[in-house]
This record gives sequence, C-alpha cells and structure tokens, in this order.
Amino acid sequence: MIYKCTNCGGNVVYDPDRKEMHCPYCDGTDTQDKLPGGGMENCANCGAPIEAGDYRSAVKCEYCGHYTIFDERVEGVYEPRLILPFKIGKGTAVKRLEEEFSRRIFAPESFLAQATVEKMEGNYIPFWLYDMKADCRYAGTGTRVRVWVSGDTEYTETSYFQVGRDMDVDFEKLPVDASLAMEDDVMDLLEPYGYEALENFRPEYMSGFLGEVYNQNAETLEPRARKRAEKDALVMLHNTLNGYTTLIPQQETVSFHEVRSSYALLPVWWYRYSFEGKNYDCFVNGQTGKVVGKAPLSVKRIFAYGGTFFACMSLILLLLKGILEVL
Amino acid sequence: MKGYLRYFRVYFIIILILTVVFAALKFTESGRQPAQRGNTEATEQERVFDYANKLTAEEEDSLRRLIAKREAQTGCDIVLVTRDESLEEYARGFEEQLGPLRPYQYVMVYADNFYDQHGFGYDKPHGDGVLLLDNWYRESDGKVYSWLSTCGRAKERFSSEMIDELLDKALEDVESNPYKAYKKYVNLFYYDMTGKMHIPVFAVILAAAAAAAVYVGINLGRNKGQKTTGVTAYVSGGRPQIRSQSDLFLRKTVTRRHIERNTGGSGGSGGGGGSHVSSGGVSHGGGGHSR
Repeated sequence: MIYKCTNCGGNVVYDPDRKEMHCPYCDGTDTQDKLPGGGMENCANCGAPIEAGDYRSAVKCEYCGHYTIFDERVEGVYEPRLILPFKIGKGTAVKRLEEEFSRRIFAPESFLAQATVEKMEGNYIPFWLYDMKADCRYAGTGTRVRVWVSGDTEYTETSYFQVGRDMDVDFEKLPVDASLAMEDDVMDLLEPYGYEALENFRPEYMSGFLGEVYNQNAETLEPRARKRAEKDALVMLHNTLNGYTTLIPQQETVSFHEVRSSYALLPVWWYRYSFEGKNYDCFVNGQTGKVVGKAPLSVKRIFAYGGTFFACMSLILLLLKGILEVL
Repeated sequence: MKGYLRYFRVYFIIILILTVVFAALKFTESGRQPAQRGNTEATEQERVFDYANKLTAEEEDSLRRLIAKREAQTGCDIVLVTRDESLEEYARGFEEQLGPLRPYQYVMVYADNFYDQHGFGYDKPHGDGVLLLDNWYRESDGKVYSWLSTCGRAKERFSSEMIDELLDKALEDVESNPYKAYKKYVNLFYYDMTGKMHIPVFAVILAAAAAAAVYVGINLGRNKGQKTTGVTAYVSGGRPQIRSQSDLFLRKTVTRRHIERNTGGSGGSGGGGGSHVSSGGVSHGGGGHSR
C-alpha cells in the first residue's frame, strides 16, 4: 500500500514531530488516501523496480523517494500486534548523534557531515515481547561472622543459618529483536523503550519509514528471552540474600511458566557511515533518543591529536621544570 | 582544522602563559646581583687543579666557567683536585697530630689541607666551600680513593649520606669519562646545596609520553553505549513478589586467638657526621669514595 495526498498526489508520511500524517509536498495534514501498492517488485508511485528482499515490509523507492508498504508483510501472520510510533524526528536524531559524537575526537572529520547524515532512515525493527512468570527458589546455608577483641584475645563468632527464599517474578514485555541484520547486543543497548506509548498496530505509522517482518519466530527466540529473564531473576534473588558473610547454596532454581509473546515494531533511527571500505552503524532509539554505536577511528587523527597532545604536555612540563628550577 | 585549533586552545594558552612566566623569571634572575664574594684574602683564583692530567685544556676551561656560575649561585667555593700518586707518605706526616690513619683517610688529610692552605671559602678564608679530591693512584690496599671535603655552610648542609650519594652518582663513570663526572659533581653540589629540584629531561618526556598514551587510550575506549536497563526493567510492578523468606538460626561457634603484641624498639640511625678538625685547625666535613 501507499499513502497518497488527496490534494497533490504526493506521498503522505507519519511526522513524529507533529504526531500526525503530513504531506511534505503540499504541507497538508491528514490528507492521506490509502492506495494499493504495485506488488513487491515495483514502486506504487513510479513503477521503478524496488528491492523487497526476504524480510522487508516497507521500502523507499530509490528513484522517486516514495515509501511503499507491502500488504502481504503486515497482514495475517505478519501483522504486528503492537507498534511504538517514532517519537523523535530526523532532525532531533541528528542532533542526538552530534551530541554523542562531538567528544569523539578520533572520528574522521566527515563522520557526521550534513550530506551523509541526511540519508539516515527510520526503521521499524521487529521485536518479540515476552510475558513470563518466573518461580525462583533458593535454599542454602549462610554464615554471619562477628569478630571482637577483649584483652589479648581475639574472638571470632560464626553463626550458621538455614536460608530459604521463594520468589515470583512477573516479567512483562521483555524485548528480543527478531531481525537477523541487527546485532543482538547493540539492540539490547538501545533499551529501554517507554511501553506506555505502545499502540495497536496501524500501518499509517509505517509510512515514511523502512520496516522488516520478523526474521525468526517467537519459538526460536524464546530461549534468548528465557536466558535473559533468568539472569535478571537470579540477580533479584541474590539481592534478597544480603547480610551473610558466606553463602553455600544447596538449591537455586528459576522455572518459567505462562510464557506468551506478542509481535511488535519498535522505532530505531539507523545511520550508516562508510569509512575506508568498512561500514559503521550508529543507532538512535526512535522514542528516547538514546545513541548506540561505534564511531570509526581515523589513524590520521589519532596521530595528529595524540601527537599534539604529547607535544603540548612535553612543552608544559618542560616549562614547569624550568620555572621550578629558577625559583 | 578549525575544530583542532578550538580543541587544543586551552593547551596553547597554558603554554603561552608559562612561556611568559618563564621568560620573566629568567629576565629577573639575570638582573639579580649574585652575593658578593667576601673572601678577599685568598689569592688563589684557580679552581681546577688537574695534576693527574685527566682533562683537556678545553674541558678545564668549560669546567671553570661552570664552577664560576655555580659559585655565584651557591655562595660556595667549588674546587676540584685530581692526583695520581700515593698520598700515604704525605698523610703519615700528620699521624702525630691526627692519630693513626687508614688508607681512605689519606685523601681526607690531603683534601682538607689543600683547602686550608689555599684559603678557600666564599665568605672568608676557611669559609663556605667544597673540594673534591680524586686520587687516581691505587693505594697499597689496592683501592682508588676520592674525598669530598666540605667546609662552612656546605659542611652544615651535607650529611654523610648526602656526600655518599653525591660521590656515588658523580663518580659512577669517572674512569671512562672524567670530564662528565666532574661536571656532574659541580652540578649535583649545586642542586643539593640550593635544594632546587633536579628533574631530568628524559623523565619529563617520559611523563608526557605516558600522559599521551593515557589520553589516546581513553579516547579510543569511548565506544558503543552503556547499558541503561536494570534487572527490574521488565518486571511487572517494578519488583519481584517474595512468597516466603526464612533465615533459621542453626548453631554458633566461637574461636579464640591470642594476639601477639609487639614491644620492639624503634629503628633508624642518626645521621650527620664526618666532622673533624684538620691539621690546620679548621673544622671540615666530608666523606670518601673508593673504586
């Protein structure tokens, strides 16, 4: 499908700053008309060939710049239950990138150049959000040690306790990204998202952005969610065990039940920068503005800045030495 | 380039300020009158007595210039004597007066007498000053002895440890490069006498290199993002529900240990010393070195 303007026929997109559908061509708002797309091979606007790939659900035509959403990939089993609409627009995302990288002095000068950063696109990343209940049990022996001195004798008193804990943890919407193209640890770092802004899926929100369907289903990714939940649950369990000098566990288990998942799309601005034949990806959380990514290192700049710093330090120290010796 | 200049602006300003301060200090220092030499009785202008002929004429001249500068800065006469002959016979002549002498003391007797006889001393004859006697002759016990004789303020300032350290450092490579060693003696005396800090240039460069390495390291390390979700980020209600919690006391053990109390004395030994009176009746400090 494609959203076209009833006034001018241009491509109407969702504008995060205005929080409504907006036609960038005639500046009209809420003038969209949902029209059928031209299939997965051609742009619905100009007919130019488009690349749908294996997972793409929304694409931008390289020729006319219109955004097409593939009906087949937002319907049926591919219909997301939830969507978190973009909250920050491109301008804000660029500003966040600049703030984050202004102190990274070893990045090449052109790293955040206007021309490249303008090409940044917003992406809806497929996520599985898991609800699960964890039953955590702990049994073990704990000791508390008290030491005191009386006269010439040091006393050490060790008290032994039988320690038991039974705890429920109710996990809600634990996110796991379902995109193979995205590195898991990078996506984890982009969290948290404010779930209060989650809405039932509406395809309008996708207009003006790129999108993907889930690359892996909920069952495949469940172990990852469980692993993460278990790790968190154990930390919470251990937090209830303070006050002991030593703890010898006899039983320590986390079991899950009532595992449920829902398919959701979460917003991420994706900036790709090519430097010396290598791609560097930086991501901005489309809701909170949190930046995650590696800036490329320019060897030239490392030497220039490192060398200047060394020269400055040498001069400063030598001058200080000279002043101290005269005084 | 603009970003680069802006980035290093603070460093450049600091350098500029320090340069100005340094230049101003140098300027006022050069205008400062050195303390007037009070010793008008001594006729001896020479400071470098290279009897052992270890220095070239140029080296002697350069050493004399350095000594003249350091004398004005320290207010002490700085004398260097080299010899290459046994001083045993010479010293024996003073045993009656000074008591029995050991080989390392032969140089002491000669150095003190040399100082006294020439009337050295910056403020007055037998006043503030220092004399290094380096005798290259191997005495009967197979050793080569040197002696640093101190007098007046230099005597008060230098403990035996300071003298030992100075001689060890200065005479380290005297066999291979006597000129360098004697220059070191003059400079070390200056630093010790005035208490000025002596920071070697290579140490400064090393410190700067270390700072630069840390700087580059920190800036290389700034990468990726930080985790901003806690363990309870996806927990309904923000915290787990504790269904049961038990801490049952089982038993208790107590162990005793006797504490050894230390009643030992304090360490450390008193410094100072080497003070003696020369055959001429002048009070000298000093210390020896052998190789």
